[in-house]
Amino acid sequence: MRELWNYRHLTFKLAISEFRLRYKNSVLGFFWSLIEPLLMLIVLYIVFTNFMRVNIEHYQLFLLMGIISWNMLSRGTTMSLNSILGKSSLVKKVYFPREVLVISSSITALMMTLLEFIVFGIFMAVFAVIPGATIVYFPVILFIEFLLVLGLSFALASLNVFYRDIQYIWAVIIQAGFFAAPIIYPVSIIPEKYVWIIKLNPMTSIIEMLRGSVIYSTSPTIGDTAFVIASALVVLVCGYLIFLKLESRFAEEM
Amino acid sequence: MSEDAIVVCDLSKIFRLPHEKKTTLFESITGILKGDKGYENFVALKGINFTVKKGEAVGIIGENGSGKSTLLKIIANILRPSSGSVKINGKITPFLELGVGFQPDLTAKENIYVYGAIMGMSDKEIDAKLKEILEFSGLSQFQDAKLKNLSSGMQVRLAFATAVQTDPEILLMDEVLAVGDMEFQQKCFDVFQRYIKEKKTIVFVSHDLNSIRRFCSKSLLLRRGEQITFGETNTIIDKYVYGVGDTKISNTEGSNKSRWGNKKVEIIEVRFIDKFDEKNTFFYSGDPMTIQIRYTIHEAIVDLVFGIAIYSENGTLIYGSNTDIGGYIPDRTAGNNEIRLIIDKLVMIEGKFSLTIAAHNKENVPYDWLDKQFFFNVLKKGNNVGLIEIPCEWKTIGL
Repeated sequence: MRELWNYRHLTFKLAISEFRLRYKNSVLGFFWSLIEPLLMLIVLYIVFTNFMRVNIEHYQLFLLMGIISWNMLSRGTTMSLNSILGKSSLVKKVYFPREVLVISSSITALMMTLLEFIVFGIFMAVFAVIPGATIVYFPVILFIEFLLVLGLSFALASLNVFYRDIQYIWAVIIQAGFFAAPIIYPVSIIPEKYVWIIKLNPMTSIIEMLRGSVIYSTSPTIGDTAFVIASALVVLVCGYLIFLKLESRFAEEM
Repeated sequence: MSEDAIVVCDLSKIFRLPHEKKTTLFESITGILKGDKGYENFVALKGINFTVKKGEAVGIIGENGSGKSTLLKIIANILRPSSGSVKINGKITPFLELGVGFQPDLTAKENIYVYGAIMGMSDKEIDAKLKEILEFSGLSQFQDAKLKNLSSGMQVRLAFATAVQTDPEILLMDEVLAVGDMEFQQKCFDVFQRYIKEKKTIVFVSHDLNSIRRFCSKSLLLRRGEQITFGETNTIIDKYVYGVGDTKISNTEGSNKSRWGNKKVEIIEVRFIDKFDEKNTFFYSGDPMTIQIRYTIHEAIVDLVFGIAIYSENGTLIYGSNTDIGGYIPDRTAGNNEIRLIIDKLVMIEGKFSLTIAAHNKENVPYDWLDKQFFFNVLKKGNNVGLIEIPCEWKTIGL
């Protein structure tokens, strides 16, 4: 852990250079990355307000918040999946703690998400929704989600070195997860007796809590918060243990 | 200053070589169901023990596949030992390859910062040295050009200029550094010399016995993963060239893997003969050597050319010739024949050399081609250094 702290400089250097790379090759720069969630928002918004007649206050913001926070998980884990395998020349030729690679790519994903949240802020201004004092919970919840992403990333990135089909399996899980989590619909449409199932997914509460704190000025409940923190920590510890177990053979396997 | 920098204690490394490379979960599951054990163990290093003191330069020598690079990677903490331990006392900078982590889409300047960070430098240190790096690599006017638009030579210069700015305590160098043009190699050696003067601890892997002799006071000799000996460089190099401890010592022939051709003519035996008319694989520099090639003609052929090529240990072609160039026509009568190549004087100074012998026709279609299949050793006589002996003398012209 202390060694990792000594390498924080390298971690951020790699994260920032990766972040720059993402936007360097396109003329429109980072706007491209914003177009994707916005397009999705438009399509889903049209479908659900006109055909399905969903009746939720500020549905466009509700939807956009769901998409952005889900994207943080899906982009973070997908980018980290290849963070070790894709840098084989580094792993085979230089020493630094391999955690650096996973952490730096998770940070890159976080930076991209923060950009999207800036756009979200603009949307809020456009629709004249002013966040209440509950906005203070926002960074905390985001940090919890980051820990969850990091834990998943540790496990996925190291497993992917040994089993290259993990990335395809994970892509399917992410796809399914988009519909299994309350992104396009509210939890309230689920029958009362099945709510506990959808709540098993920590992303459910994370998305609800983010919406509450930013759009609807509601504070997260203690029960939800405790569950989300506990599950993020469990995932982080398990993911890191998997990583540690496999880490010694990275250079040989690539 | 007599503190230990590197202590390697009873180190072993075993690699798993899978029968069939399984890289997916699916393959692994089906593999388990089939009851396949799935891998062989390959012992890459066994029972290595040595200590490098602070400020010492140590060379690691051995044939290809003897585990030199594996050992270097274990010291660098890139690979983990299977058993035994490595204790490091100081900050390690590995120079195993230049320019790892270069991003072609970032500018030269941005790459200096990323590469510097990988080599363990902080932004402040790089800020202070940026100008020097750009000047040294001659890329000042290209600092904002994307790396992919620079020539590969420029990229190597940039990597090298950045890498030598690190202030290592322990330096691990692989011979891959010694690629590039003469000027670049000279630069490498200058830097090396500077580090030695500054009393840095250095571990150096090379096939180039001359540079090992020049720079390293102690050496480690490896053969097929085992430590043959560790000690004073001159003794070790002699042992290496004499092949002490090598069970294959008198065997001039290698494996059968690098042999091809249509076998209309078959090379049966190749021998090295010394000045006493005896079969031998050790020759003193300056001595005569005869290469005797015995062959069989299986089918009637229109033409026949014998060729030889002599390679130094790092694979450089030293000399190549054939009977066609030499204006000699080998005997083409059916059955067993013999041809000899007589070398009056071996000009090589020292080292192990490999030899390719080939029988082919004038269109270069091989009958029997034995690629680097034969080996001989040249022992040093006199104190000159280098690859070959050049006949010369010192004189003063009277006024």
